[in-house]
Amino acid sequence: MEPGKQPRWKFGAICVLGAFLVLGLLSGRPAVAQGRVLVFAAASLKSALDELGHQWQERSGGRVVLSYAASSALARQIQQGAPADLFLSASIEWMAVLERDGLIRQETRRNLLRNRLILIAHQPRPALRIAPGFDLSGALGSERLAMALVQAVPAGIYGKQALTALGVWEQVQGQLAQVDNVRAALALVVRGEAPLGIVYASDAVAEPRVAVIDTFPEGSHAPILYPVAQTTESRSAAARDFLQFLTSETARTVFESQGFLMVQ
Amino acid sequence: MIRLEVSLSHRFPEFHLEVEFTASAGVTALFGRSGSGKTTIGNAIAGLLTPERGRVVVGGEVLFDTALGICLPPHQRQVGYVFQESRLFPHLTVRQNLLFGRWFSRKSSQLISLEQVLRMLDIAPLLERRPHGLSGGEKQRVAIGRALLSNPRLLLLDEPLAALDGFRKAEILPYLERIRDEAGLPILYVSHSVAEVARLANTVVLLQSGRVLRSGETEDILADPEAVPLIGVREAGAVLPVRVEAHHPDGLSELRADAEVLWIPQCTAPVGTRLRLRIHAQDILISLKRPEGMSALNVLPVTVDALHEGHGPGVAVRLTSGPHRLLARITRRSAQALKLEPGTSCFAILKSVAVAQDDVGVSPH
Amino acid sequence: MSWLSPEEWEIVTLSLQVALWATVVSLPPGVLVAYALARFEFPGKQLLNGLVHLPLILPPVVTGYLLLLLFGRRGVLGAFLEEHFEVVFAFRWTGAVLACGIMGFPLMVRAIRLALEAVDPRLEQAAQTLGANRLWTFCLITLPLMLPGLVAGAVLAFAKAMGEFGATITFVSNIPGETQTLPSAIYALLQVPGGEAGALRLVVLSIGIALGALLISELLARKASRRISG
Repeated sequence: MEPGKQPRWKFGAICVLGAFLVLGLLSGRPAVAQGRVLVFAAASLKSALDELGHQWQERSGGRVVLSYAASSALARQIQQGAPADLFLSASIEWMAVLERDGLIRQETRRNLLRNRLILIAHQPRPALRIAPGFDLSGALGSERLAMALVQAVPAGIYGKQALTALGVWEQVQGQLAQVDNVRAALALVVRGEAPLGIVYASDAVAEPRVAVIDTFPEGSHAPILYPVAQTTESRSAAARDFLQFLTSETARTVFESQGFLMVQ
Repeated sequence: MIRLEVSLSHRFPEFHLEVEFTASAGVTALFGRSGSGKTTIGNAIAGLLTPERGRVVVGGEVLFDTALGICLPPHQRQVGYVFQESRLFPHLTVRQNLLFGRWFSRKSSQLISLEQVLRMLDIAPLLERRPHGLSGGEKQRVAIGRALLSNPRLLLLDEPLAALDGFRKAEILPYLERIRDEAGLPILYVSHSVAEVARLANTVVLLQSGRVLRSGETEDILADPEAVPLIGVREAGAVLPVRVEAHHPDGLSELRADAEVLWIPQCTAPVGTRLRLRIHAQDILISLKRPEGMSALNVLPVTVDALHEGHGPGVAVRLTSGPHRLLARITRRSAQALKLEPGTSCFAILKSVAVAQDDVGVSPH
Repeated sequence: MSWLSPEEWEIVTLSLQVALWATVVSLPPGVLVAYALARFEFPGKQLLNGLVHLPLILPPVVTGYLLLLLFGRRGVLGAFLEEHFEVVFAFRWTGAVLACGIMGFPLMVRAIRLALEAVDPRLEQAAQTLGANRLWTFCLITLPLMLPGLVAGAVLAFAKAMGEFGATITFVSNIPGETQTLPSAIYALLQVPGGEAGALRLVVLSIGIALGALLISELLARKASRRISG
């Protein structure tokens, strides 16, 4: 076939297909329609929520779509008008920001989960225990402590609080390896690139290849709370229902199996 | 003394190259139509192409021999290559281009100096310029100089004038004659131009479809009636060695070819210069009797030596005059009417004005 | 005109240092690979081409993780290098250089290869007949003629290195003074409510540096082009 001499019908078919494509793109409505529940949740909740999402869909027949990212990214998206029904954040601050902006229904806001901060190691260290002024620096030797960004990521912020409260921050602050999310800190310890790391208790549950040294005392850092709320934009009754489901006993079992604690 | 031995065999998709020839000092022309394999041979000698089988020896040094497993890379062959499109380095000045090869050549034997090259090719005023602004003729002269200064054993020119117009060609030819006579190098000249070959070559190798048809001294080849089909009926013509006797005030120059005298429009060469005259076969008339009351000034007594009939109406006739030969092209009808056959005595007539400037060159020495 | 705080200065100078080193170090291999791809045919050529372009296609985090596997202290090559040559990449600015260099490599190779292919190989042939071997031909003829393209490739790599985040932070994490580059700092600021203002300052700075690099490269490329065409 010479170039420029395609049969007419091919050209027509391409036009029709193109039209369908354009129409399809234009007519794509957000998940809000058709009773689908869109949940924005912090990445650390993925394993638990995936399971709960399944269970809820089974028992209620509804549909839930779970979108995971860093709490900060999710919050900014909601600020920019993302059509989420529920927001489950790993950070109090970002929920407060949305509350201040009037983007969430205050009557639905509650603290859903708690977490604990733990010290993990690449290899078991029976001699090492968390205590005020403990020799963390010595335990690290010439290597580094893996943590999330201490100024920006919640896990890192809590970690710094805890270390400061225990009086060891000064000695280790020059020995940190800060990464952009707590799972990456976990990965460094798994690989052995960092001998010790500070992560959430829920992270250690998912990862058998690290040894849990000790848990940081609850008083050494601000409470690690996971607030949840329905957005003001959301008109979905199904969203309310899913939110209720997240507070049920069934949900508690799933959350606790993943290392989280329910808030009473 | 043989300076160049070439024997190559290579199978291409379009044709099969199978050549063998030798060359001595002076200019050896590789003549053939486009596609006859001339450039391929040049590239093989320079090492830019590796033929399947063959042997190349330059100045006693084996550059390539499949039997012995020798294949020198191009930069070790010392073959000065002048390309059709000059290929001057655009980011260097003319001086830097010229001296490029100097760097890499062994200091031991510098045959030609920069001053010599500048003088031979008249390119001294161009030294600090970039190739960008030079004319085609200037570029080629610089390219020739660059090749000479790389201390080559052999100078290879691949259709160096093909990209130039008639005026520039005429301009460069004297320089090439000078190189031929003064540089002391064997030169391989690849060309499809009979005019260039006639003017410059000492020996000619005729190529057709990748094979050597015949080879020999220029005078012999160009005077051979059987080579006429390959050379072309309009281009065919013998070359005659002559000596300048005198220049006459009416604008004619008197030339002597042994016993005979020839008149041509005034040439610039000083008296005593040995010249090579190219006489187109189609410009020669044959007469059985010496003509009278006729305008042509050049009437030479000759003997018919050989005839060759072409496919068309023409016939090529080789005529001898003493030790020299001329080639004439006349119609078969006339040849028959005049009953021309080897041994016939007759006269060759040539109009003075038929000899163009381009047809007059310095005789190789 | 607000001057930068000492921390911000440190971030900027580190970013510049890392990006410059990444560009300089990846130039020789970049030229080599581009030359091989442009001038030669060999078995595995397409494979090499694919490998070179991997950092372009893979998510940066994946590239960073691969680097961790290979060059981390417990990594296959990292342990070897540390033991025999005392070269350490993990958690050091050298690792940031490695990450940025690798991420920018495909862009550099593409630009240089294009420039190389634009150099007339017949000029290289001419140089060889004049006595220059392949190396000399490359240095005296090919390299000067492809200089504008080389500069373009280097600037692309530099710009990519200045903006590299995913691979760097995954491989060498964020260590102020060692591996905290501009993108890391901007990312950290965006994580915090109210950090946008600070982030914006750094963003404007990044843009300024990128534009500056572009300007310099334009000037250099033009100068080189003028030399070539006389």
